[in-house]
Amino acid sequence: MKKIGLTTTVPLEVLLAAGYTPIDLNNIFVVSKDYGKYIEKAERDGFPKSMCAWIKGIYGACIENGIEEVLGVTEGDCSNTKTLLEIFKKNNIKIHSFGYPHSHSLDDIKNELDKLMKYMDVSYEEVEYQRNRLNLIREKAKHIDNLTLEGKATGFENHILQLCFSDFDGNVDRYSDFLDEKIEEINKRVTDKKELKLGYLGIPPMQGDLHDYVETLDGRFIYNEVQREFAFPRAMNSKNIYEQYYDYTYTYDIDFRLDDIKKQIKERQLDAVIHYTQAFCHRAVEDIILKQELNIPILTIEGDKSNALDARTKLRIEAFLDMLKDKKRSEKINE
Amino acid sequence: MNDITCKKIVGIDLGSREVKIIVTENKKIILRKKISTVSFYRDYCQYQDKIIVDLKKLGIEDVDLAVSTGYGRNNTDLSMFKPINEIKAHVYGALAQSGKKDFILLDIGGQDVKIVKIEKGLTTDLDLNDKCAASCGRYLENMANVLEVPLDSLSNYSKDPVKLNSTCAVFSESELIGKIAEGISLDRLAAGINYSMYSRLRPLLTKFRGNTLIVSGGVAKNRAIIEYLKSDYTEVKVLEDPQFNGAIGCCYYGENFI
Ligand code: SF4
Repeated sequence: MKKIGLTTTVPLEVLLAAGYTPIDLNNIFVVSKDYGKYIEKAERDGFPKSMCAWIKGIYGACIENGIEEVLGVTEGDCSNTKTLLEIFKKNNIKIHSFGYPHSHSLDDIKNELDKLMKYMDVSYEEVEYQRNRLNLIREKAKHIDNLTLEGKATGFENHILQLCFSDFDGNVDRYSDFLDEKIEEINKRVTDKKELKLGYLGIPPMQGDLHDYVETLDGRFIYNEVQREFAFPRAMNSKNIYEQYYDYTYTYDIDFRLDDIKKQIKERQLDAVIHYTQAFCHRAVEDIILKQELNIPILTIEGDKSNALDARTKLRIEAFLDMLKDKKRSEKINE
Repeated sequence: MNDITCKKIVGIDLGSREVKIIVTENKKIILRKKISTVSFYRDYCQYQDKIIVDLKKLGIEDVDLAVSTGYGRNNTDLSMFKPINEIKAHVYGALAQSGKKDFILLDIGGQDVKIVKIEKGLTTDLDLNDKCAASCGRYLENMANVLEVPLDSLSNYSKDPVKLNSTCAVFSESELIGKIAEGISLDRLAAGINYSMYSRLRPLLTKFRGNTLIVSGGVAKNRAIIEYLKSDYTEVKVLEDPQFNGAIGCCYYGENFI
């Protein structure tokens, strides 16, 4: 099967129906031991210093891994992707685009999906068949999410296992089996709840050690916002592919995204959230709105090129969680 | 809040030069005391396995709780005292004294500078500068000595500061002497000292933008520096007890979290 690189979550159902093997370029970039080299490659080829590491990493990962075809999201996600696609084209990579319409109207989304299906030459039925197949596996992500709430799965497992739903780790069936094994293993564990219940907001972090670091401070991310969206937790409630992609939160307006965040904060009884922003990313401005709208302590951290937390960020997290513990204990005393 | 009324708490901030002591009863300050660090350890402490503070000698009796904080090597565990870290102590002090929940706290002590960002009552960012003698209280003291003026009057001068270029405390001193030799007026020299300190704080502060700045520590008493800071923030507030802020924070911690 032909590989197709992705710049973020896209309607995989269409690609699978068309016989592609989707590969999320973000994932091959960030888990690679060569991640720094991918960024360097991009900078050597002329990408500016003042551009986010993800775009550069995606570029490097795509070129170095010999990916010949890419589907990029040009609306609803990153505005840099448009230009990235043009660069890919200049590198003789075949490019396709998909947009999550800014209007967020069901009609417009249907339009986009129909366009993609037509272009990929697949029928609605074939796509729905794939959707049902994937949604059965997506239920396993929900299972893992619940295991996190129960105190069995760690915050990192919650993060990484849901994150990989953006491309089912490159092989749908193999990933499905892997999840079964994981669930079985996690289920056998004894409950290990942490004192602080934390939420993670924003795009997945560059730093792979963030989730484990908060666990050393007796906190756990029991909600990973965007990663959870990657796994489409509400997919089963959607009647068709159009509704499913209409219901995807993070590529539409912030209010729509906020509704779900607020709901999760309440349901999961979070003590605080950490909002991750990427250096040079336009999304960092959303921090203003999140802080205004969310009635919960928020710590904003920023990542750039490194895949590990720097000392200063660690100190900030530690100071924040330390006071949060004081606060939580005093609230308990006063109950 | 705890419902033990009449709780008597002692908070001690073991500074590098001075030890600050606050006693609160029923959340009201009933005693403030400042002792030189040397005298504190020499005259008011005994050494067994741990350091034991002779509260009686300090005129403090019947306390329910004791909380301490301190800087660097002075941050020794005192027996019977619950130690908390310095940043936390200062943040709690500022929360207690200002009643605000969102601000930037600038604490300039004798030997170090701390900047902390507080959002919704919690620390979200911080920076410490304890490596530079030219941006803390010690610098002002030395320079006042060179000028032979009391520290307090030095802080009155902010207009038309003479330019002191050196970024180092030691070189600043000789630079200042050079300016004295040039016959520059005392007003401008004093303002120059204050301004040079402010301009060394600025790069630290640029990372901490915000609307409200709260200033604590001994240098909060320097009117000129506060005047300069006003150009960078909408509101600059000096805490009523700037030097006792850490000790007040210890008491606040005792009142609310133990
Ligand atoms: S981090 Fe921001 S700028 Fe970078 S690719 Fe993602 S959305 Fe675009």
